[in-house]
Amino acid sequence: MEMLAIEGTKSTPEILFDPATGVLSMSGESYPENSFEFYRPILSWLARFSAVHHGPLTFNTNLSYLNTGSTKCMMDILDLLEESHLNGKTVAVNWYYDEENHRAFETAEEFKEEVSVPFNIIPVSEQP
Amino acid sequence: MKVINLYELKETFNNEGILICFAGPFSHSIIEELGNAVKRYLEAEQMAKDIMMDVFSTFIEQTQNVRNYARQKVDEGNRDCDFSSGIVVIGKNGTSYEVSSGNIVGKEDIREALDTLDMLEKLDKKELKTLYKQNLRKTLPPGANPGLGLIDMARKASQPLVYSLKDIDDRYCFFSLKAII
Repeated sequence: MEMLAIEGTKSTPEILFDPATGVLSMSGESYPENSFEFYRPILSWLARFSAVHHGPLTFNTNLSYLNTGSTKCMMDILDLLEESHLNGKTVAVNWYYDEENHRAFETAEEFKEEVSVPFNIIPVSEQP
Repeated sequence: MKVINLYELKETFNNEGILICFAGPFSHSIIEELGNAVKRYLEAEQMAKDIMMDVFSTFIEQTQNVRNYARQKVDEGNRDCDFSSGIVVIGKNGTSYEVSSGNIVGKEDIREALDTLDMLEKLDKKELKTLYKQNLRKTLPPGANPGLGLIDMARKASQPLVYSLKDIDDRYCFFSLKAII
């Protein structure tokens, strides 16, 4: 499969998905004009990838903000990962957040509550 | 030609504690630019990051609600007025921040949101979280609005969301919504 690379903008995260390593990463902020339209290609990429790939799958995110539309789409992504996990594949989520932003931690925790995938919530210090 | 008294307008803003105000059509790029400006402004205020993110996210949800409603009206072919034209205001009242938005809405269209707001007012933070998660888990047709925006604002606000309606004519009114952070 081809590599998925989407450049970030003010309102959309940078997305990289390397089929060779099975690592999907997302960083930035997410409040697209139309969340469903923005996330649809990523969801379909992930679904196709999961169908053919049997190695480990890692999802790394460092998102400082998700609007409610993106939150809904993120849930769909996590559900796809959950499905792979329940099918016996090695799946892990590494959710990075700014340690000063307690809201970002709560967001991560609420997602974690919804799935049984190994889900690491990792604080990042923004201090240089 | 009458000259607008900007001094008086600015004085009104000062008296009302208004820090940032935008009135006009909400395009996506305007929301992005204003969002950036809001964040910069709040960073300069040296406030806690949590509060800053709550103000920012409430601002985004409110402006995107206005924008999404305007798009829906355009899709319906309704050209009664410029629905994308709205107003958003961020103010400070004592130690709390207030994020408000206003726009023209059809009286029929706004009914559901008003019912939601009346229902949200009675819920505590724990019940709001439960409701948020229920809506997050609802299966929806592609592109449908999961109705998370108002619940999200209510969760971040320190008091129940406040709204008001001002009659314009038989079919339309001006809807104002305020979240106190």
